[in-house]
Amino acid sequence: MSQALDERSESIRMIRDSAGAVAPRDGDTKRVRALRFVEPGFSREVFAEMGALGWIGLAVPEAAGGAGLGMSEAVALQEEIGAGLAPEPLIPAMLSARVLAAAGDTALLGPLLEGGKVVLTAWQEKADSIAVPGTGDAPRVFIPMAGGADAFLLPVREGNRIALVSLDAAGADLTLEKAMDGGFVGTLRPDLSRASHVADDIGAVLEQALDEAALMTAGHMLGLMEKAFELTIGYLKTRQQFGRIIGTFQALQHRAADLKIHLSLTRAAVESAAAVLDDGATGAVRQAAVSKAKHRAVESGMYVLRQCIQLHGGIGYTDEYDVGLYLRRGMVVMNQYGSAGLHRRRFMALAPEDVE
Amino acid sequence: MAVSIAPKETADLNAMEDEAFRTHVRAWIEGNYPAELRNPPKRLHWEENKPWYFMLAEKGWLCPGWPRQFGGMGLSPAKQIIFTEEVERYGCARTNDHGIVMVGPLLINHGTDEQQQYFLPKILSGEHIWCQGYSEPNAGSDLAALRTEAVLDGDEYVVNGQKIWTTLAMDANWCFLLVRTDKNAKKQEGISFLLVDMATPGITVKPIINLEYHDEFCEVFFDNVRVPAKNLVGTPNRGWDMAKALLSFERIYLGSPRLSAYAFTRLRQLAERMGVWEDVAFQDTYGRLRLDLEDLKSLYGSFVDKLRRGKTLGPDVSMLKVFQTELFQRITDTMLEIAGENAGLLEPMEGNRNLNPTGLYIQARPATIYGGSNEIQKNILSKNVLGLPG
Repeated sequence: MSQALDERSESIRMIRDSAGAVAPRDGDTKRVRALRFVEPGFSREVFAEMGALGWIGLAVPEAAGGAGLGMSEAVALQEEIGAGLAPEPLIPAMLSARVLAAAGDTALLGPLLEGGKVVLTAWQEKADSIAVPGTGDAPRVFIPMAGGADAFLLPVREGNRIALVSLDAAGADLTLEKAMDGGFVGTLRPDLSRASHVADDIGAVLEQALDEAALMTAGHMLGLMEKAFELTIGYLKTRQQFGRIIGTFQALQHRAADLKIHLSLTRAAVESAAAVLDDGATGAVRQAAVSKAKHRAVESGMYVLRQCIQLHGGIGYTDEYDVGLYLRRGMVVMNQYGSAGLHRRRFMALAPEDVE
Repeated sequence: MAVSIAPKETADLNAMEDEAFRTHVRAWIEGNYPAELRNPPKRLHWEENKPWYFMLAEKGWLCPGWPRQFGGMGLSPAKQIIFTEEVERYGCARTNDHGIVMVGPLLINHGTDEQQQYFLPKILSGEHIWCQGYSEPNAGSDLAALRTEAVLDGDEYVVNGQKIWTTLAMDANWCFLLVRTDKNAKKQEGISFLLVDMATPGITVKPIINLEYHDEFCEVFFDNVRVPAKNLVGTPNRGWDMAKALLSFERIYLGSPRLSAYAFTRLRQLAERMGVWEDVAFQDTYGRLRLDLEDLKSLYGSFVDKLRRGKTLGPDVSMLKVFQTELFQRITDTMLEIAGENAGLLEPMEGNRNLNPTGLYIQARPATIYGGSNEIQKNILSKNVLGLPG
């Protein structure tokens, strides 16, 4: 057991180290800023690099060409990605890879795992939902970075099952909207007559993949919080007003201590949920763990990010200073794969007193 | 930009009953305000809001608070509040109003006859658009630490330094500026007010892009800028007291329920659009915010009553600013919570500026920072109201 834990912490450390290639540790945001509001909103080269580093297939079984690692590694990676503000749609790509691997597909999975093709799953039909109705030609909404997709995967209900079809992005009816962080989200109006059949029944694996995506998003939020908090602590230690370092004011010290508590709560919720999933939890146990983590990440995350702006004062409200970039990204990810309210309701509905 | 404006309405409206006055103001706004300028999603620049400025000027309603002999409406505080409520209710754009709100009262109270006669008509005509040179990079919350200095050289002051967060400075052709005129005095006692023509050589304006991706604020640099000594307002080195008096006026303005009330109406529209309006949990949150807003209005009303009775407001007015801005933020926090993935969109939803949760959320962020941060307001309350030591 302890050897397994050691191996796990070693793989997490290696993942964190490798993230430096894409999300610079020194907090340089030049790359991120240059990509803002320029379609598709991310770099295909960096996406390919993510593939080459094995990240897209991080949680895909080795037999299917992935790295065979788990959620503990995935949330650690997302923490680094969030801290570095990388805009590439890694979580949506990992979701697609998970579904394709379970479906036994190879034609799309191979290029996706290499990062050569961007394959995004267009599952969502309305805001603040993690349900997959699979309504044939219903518009699919809020597809992150959809303008950079080579292909879309569509869950489509066929009787009691959710089948999977793919749709070439070229020629697809896609509209893009600008996102707060400089990225884009797309609405796809699918023409199923152009679609190719991929698999008969992916309902259960898609449900699992959406849970994993929600958990990874919580990890991403944790990274945003950590970096914004680090900037803020640095500011409290250097900014002077009234002839004193402002970090010597007790009111601000107490607020900083509160933020640290929220950071620790979020880390504990996210990492413990990842461990639950890595232990092979299914059904209500998995869902409750994920909901607990995502709820905490949104509640504490937005609180911390807001306070980081406040503690900076006017400079925190400028675009030139980086702390606002974290708030903007936080706004984009907070309700992806379910809002705090949705996860709170789901957690309560699962009667966790019984499942824990 | 010489404009000659003859105000149409010069009657004293204080004689009207409050409700009749309200109806009169409302009817005129509804009949005249340009539809395309209603509820702008961002603060408008001069080129965009000047039709409204000129419309008010022609009507004679540009300066509700100024005495009538200076071209204002001479409205009582109570009538001014009704006037403001109607302007806000209809979603009228904020104009470049520093001349109206700050410079006018400053000169009416402290200016020379010559300053009043030269500057006030040019505010009324829109010829002079003013900006406020207060904050500096190292003098924000600690405003009295400002270091931009003005040194007398013959009959001119030579100004050097930098201002920041100067709202709409790029639109302004005049600036009212706090400068240090005595470096040896206690920090509050060496500050003076200068009126500066922005066309003077040595001034550089650099816009700051903010979290709204908007250039509302600027940095303004002064490099050996020569300002006629006659443009000093009041007594040299006594500028701090005048600035403080203007700031307490700003505090009741920032404590007005208008921003929270506006956001609150939009919260309901958003809840209906997102299908959560009937939700019991949402109704509970909404009810809590609504009661907070009602009580804010009551508290605001009690300060307004003081003004109505001719009293001046004390430091306790800071309570309004704190509660209003925090409520504004809580309302917009709730918007994001119910907006689903729309919480990450840059533009209003569906092209409808009434469904703009992210715009309002971002606008609410600096409300607890500008006009004296809420931390500073709480210092004022704990020291000057509660008498706590330190």
